[in-house]
Amino acid sequence: MANVDLKGVVKRYGNVEVIHGIDLSVRENEFIVLVGPSGCGKSTVLRMVAGLEAISGGEISIGDRVVNQVSPKDRNVAMVFQNYALYPHMTVRENMGFSLKMRRKSREEMDSRVQEAARVLELEPYLERKPSELSGGQRQRVAMGRAMVRKPDVFLFDEPLSNLDAQLRTQMRMELRKMHMRLKTTTIYVTHDQIEAMTLADRIVILKDGHIQQVGSPIEVFEKPNNVFVARFIGNPPMNILEGVFGVEDGKRFVTVGPSRFPVPDGKGDSLVDGAPMLVGLRPDAIKMGENIERLPKDWWCKGEVVVSEILGGHSLLEIVVDGQNELIAEVEGRVVAHPGEIVPIGFEFDRMVLFDPETTNALS
Amino acid sequence: MREASLDRLKAFLTLLPSIVLVGVFVYGFIGNTVWISLTDWGGSGSLAVDPQKNYVGLANYAELFTGFLAGGFRQDLVNAVFYSVMLLAGAIGLGMFIAILLDRKPKGEDVLRTIFLYPMSLSFIVSGTIWRWLLAPQGGVNILPTYVGLDPLTFEWTSSTKAVLEFNWQNLFQIMLYVAAFILILVGLWAFRNDPRKALKRWLGPGIVIGAFAWLGGSILPQALFMEETHGFNLATLGIIMATVWQYAGYTMALYLAGFNGISQDLRDAAMLDGASEVAYYRHVAIPMLKPITISAVIILSHISLKMFDIIFAMTGPDNAQTGHPALNMYLTTFRANDFARGAAIAIVLFLVAAMFIVPYLVSQYRQRKRG
Amino acid sequence: MKKTLAKICFVLVAAFMLAAPQGAQAKKLSGDLEIFSWWAGDEGPALQALIDIYKQKHPDVNVINATVTGGSGVNARAVLKTRMLGGEPPDSFQVHAGQELIGTWVEADRMEDLTFLFKEQGWMDVFPEGLIKLIGTDKGIWSVPVNVHRSNVLWYVPANLKKWGVDVPKNWEEFIKIAPKLKKEGVVPLALAQNWTANHLWESVALASLGPDNWDALWNGTLRFDSEEGVKAWELFGKVLEYTNPDASSLSWQQATDMVIDGRAAFNVMGDWAAGYMATTKKMEPGKDFGWAASPGTNGEFLFLADSFGLPKGAPHRDNAIAWLKVLGSKEGSDTFNPLKGSISARTDSDLSKYNAYLQSASADFGKDRVVGSLAHGVAANETFMSGFASVMEMFLKTNNAKAAAMACQQLADKAGLGK
Repeated sequence: MANVDLKGVVKRYGNVEVIHGIDLSVRENEFIVLVGPSGCGKSTVLRMVAGLEAISGGEISIGDRVVNQVSPKDRNVAMVFQNYALYPHMTVRENMGFSLKMRRKSREEMDSRVQEAARVLELEPYLERKPSELSGGQRQRVAMGRAMVRKPDVFLFDEPLSNLDAQLRTQMRMELRKMHMRLKTTTIYVTHDQIEAMTLADRIVILKDGHIQQVGSPIEVFEKPNNVFVARFIGNPPMNILEGVFGVEDGKRFVTVGPSRFPVPDGKGDSLVDGAPMLVGLRPDAIKMGENIERLPKDWWCKGEVVVSEILGGHSLLEIVVDGQNELIAEVEGRVVAHPGEIVPIGFEFDRMVLFDPETTNALS
Repeated sequence: MREASLDRLKAFLTLLPSIVLVGVFVYGFIGNTVWISLTDWGGSGSLAVDPQKNYVGLANYAELFTGFLAGGFRQDLVNAVFYSVMLLAGAIGLGMFIAILLDRKPKGEDVLRTIFLYPMSLSFIVSGTIWRWLLAPQGGVNILPTYVGLDPLTFEWTSSTKAVLEFNWQNLFQIMLYVAAFILILVGLWAFRNDPRKALKRWLGPGIVIGAFAWLGGSILPQALFMEETHGFNLATLGIIMATVWQYAGYTMALYLAGFNGISQDLRDAAMLDGASEVAYYRHVAIPMLKPITISAVIILSHISLKMFDIIFAMTGPDNAQTGHPALNMYLTTFRANDFARGAAIAIVLFLVAAMFIVPYLVSQYRQRKRG
Repeated sequence: MKKTLAKICFVLVAAFMLAAPQGAQAKKLSGDLEIFSWWAGDEGPALQALIDIYKQKHPDVNVINATVTGGSGVNARAVLKTRMLGGEPPDSFQVHAGQELIGTWVEADRMEDLTFLFKEQGWMDVFPEGLIKLIGTDKGIWSVPVNVHRSNVLWYVPANLKKWGVDVPKNWEEFIKIAPKLKKEGVVPLALAQNWTANHLWESVALASLGPDNWDALWNGTLRFDSEEGVKAWELFGKVLEYTNPDASSLSWQQATDMVIDGRAAFNVMGDWAAGYMATTKKMEPGKDFGWAASPGTNGEFLFLADSFGLPKGAPHRDNAIAWLKVLGSKEGSDTFNPLKGSISARTDSDLSKYNAYLQSASADFGKDRVVGSLAHGVAANETFMSGFASVMEMFLKTNNAKAAAMACQQLADKAGLGK
């Protein structure tokens, strides 16, 4: 078990720089999720940690040892690949034991470690099978088992669940979480799926175009996104972003969005001056309907016209147009039956509002 | 149901012409050759409009393996074994080695690939002629050392009369037992690491018993020939083997290179992270994964080695017994000596040897398909 | 006016049509003539000269010169077999006179008897009787010989022999006596080339060892190969082999001859086509730059071989083919062809002034010597024996076991039905 530190890590392919100096400290036992849209460089970062890609600049250390020049096999990291990368000509047992064989461990140790991993992952009946004779989920578990038997300092996962169907993905997600709780191995996990990020991570690292956008716990990045990109990337459906203008009247701070005017709670946008343009971010679940709006102050209420409504079982998604121009997605509890064109009262949890600078799209403190 | 049977009928009708053609021109003629090999068609008058053919049973085969005059054929058969083994080892070994070097993507890899593959596009006659010049006793390869001030080589690449690994054909059965014992023991030693008890019972035990029997009881085995007749690995075949390996190493290289390129980068990365060195990656991951390619290369090359004709013809001529091959012998027996029955018998022997290579492969393929 | 013109035209056409068959009645040959041979390289011009004579006589015949290359007709014979078996015989084909033709094609009843042609052309008188016997059987005469070659000739360069201080050996005992001396000089006593030249050497050695009567007896089945005499012949051959070059099997016969020319070897036993090679290709003067003698121990014996053309049954243009055979057997044809080919005419009345010094001497020998058939070139034994003999030779070259080789030959002779 070890911490992983990246200091000003840069990656260039020829003249093209794809990773622009990343600083990141992964603490011992921590589960870090790197998330971002495809092409953001998250896999490259992971592969650099593994040693599969050379580093063009900066420094990576694992457990206080700088590993820039250390070959992958000597970094004591284990990686799980998106397509599992199992050796097709070996049985499950041989697949899981391969790294131990390469390290010339004794036969007894190999057997016992493989057996142990197989027991934990419920793979015991399949030990003598070839990967081609296993289902996707089983292969996934073999890939994890292969990483586990090594007892590495760091686990690296490269979108390990993206080839599985939705149900299995949820299940495997749980198992991954449980595995981490038991083994407590430092883990770096790459995914483009923000749900995986939210559910698995101790801390999430959001990457875009080779830059870190934000590092924080799931709740932090959800409630206090650093910028519009993070706000829209994390959370599904994404955060509603409305253009507005800040105003102060009679010592009351408010924001004007179209013809409507909403109060701005204290502690948000303290630096703003009257007439400053701004972006208002509102999570879909910060929009309330029906009796839930009763708990909100009256001036947080308004009316909206339902465009579409979708019932998703426990909760419903509605597309609402406020003031005939601002479209909002609302995620409300319960089964809300609303007909298109119906005018309904809605309420906003403005205390959860996030304000952004329209120029930089960064959050305003 | 009716739809399905109509489909089957259509399929059958579509296939019918090729079934008939293959049936007549492949299997029909194999059958005819078998029949001819059981007759005495040959000698004077054999080219008559209606030649005499009398059934003589397996006499032609007996003559080939034990007859006084067929010593040349037996040496050819021994040669064929060495040609096959050396061509397989040489072409696969060298081809794999080059493929591994190129797989590491050196500069100019594509040019090198074309260069190595190029010999394959030559016909055997052409490459045979080139190599005959290169391997001439007083030229080509032999005078290479003189360029660095050394004495020229004097090895006679294609005309040496020396032989190594000689054995007496009389002891054929004993030698076959030794070979069987050797293979069993080898397999046994290899399997010993995984499952000692099974290895001992299945391979090592029988191997040692057979080997001991051949050693102690060799004298009570029947002798295959009434007189001493030594055969061995004729050194004159080395030149031909070199030329053939040169021609086909590029081919196996292309096969392996395609295979190596088909292995996903992830798998290579996984092996590296698992602690495999470059050598270990090829030994434990890449090459075992390309087993199907190795198998097809073995089958194709062994067939080529069984059909070697033109390159020998071009390099040492048809009559050079040192470098003879059953295929060449078959041609000469049939079309020069007019001994059609004997020629047919040689053809059938070659056919059976080829079947020895391919039938186990077909059976395993069939089994795999049935399982999968 | 127009009608008159048409009438005239009609009359002219009719007259022409009536006249045409009369022209054909004058035995004018037309159509194709396909000649199948292996005379493609050095011998090409000689064959072409024959074809030119034929074309002069029969200008309407389209001559197809089908040649298949390969020394001694190795490949041509195989192609010929496929064509004959496929029912597509050429009009006339080249074949070694003697058992190679008789054993293969006459026994198979695929050749036409040419006795009528021999009688008609008066060839019975101009070809030596012994030769006619060898190219015929009791059922007929099967081919027209175009040339005669001698197999048992010993070649050397007189100047070189002088330099080394040796004489031309009269028999093999003499040769074996002088050979060690040559070896000491760093000279190969006897140059040998690839496989078939070993057979060629064998027949000269065996003829010397056996004598002509026993030689003939061997082939008509009255003397066994494994008899004392037969074994002795092999033993002598084994001794001679000791003085040959070790890289023989990778050399062509020309290269072996070159060894003699270059002074790397003293002697070479080769057929008299070697004279053509040295005189024409190497521009050496017969008698001066190179010398010859009957191979040791065969003085007064003429080991002959001949190329001949036969007429297969079912030849598509039989008349044209017979006209071709007439050209071959004629004095004009024979004396045109042979000087070019480097062989002598089979006819006893040939015009010796057209031949060079060597050929004149060979021609004189052919007239007075005892003529016996060559084994290596298809006169003495059929193809089954010849082909098997090549394997026996290989076995002998490897093991040097005279007794085994003799025994193998006898088995082979029984199998091939020699003398039956």
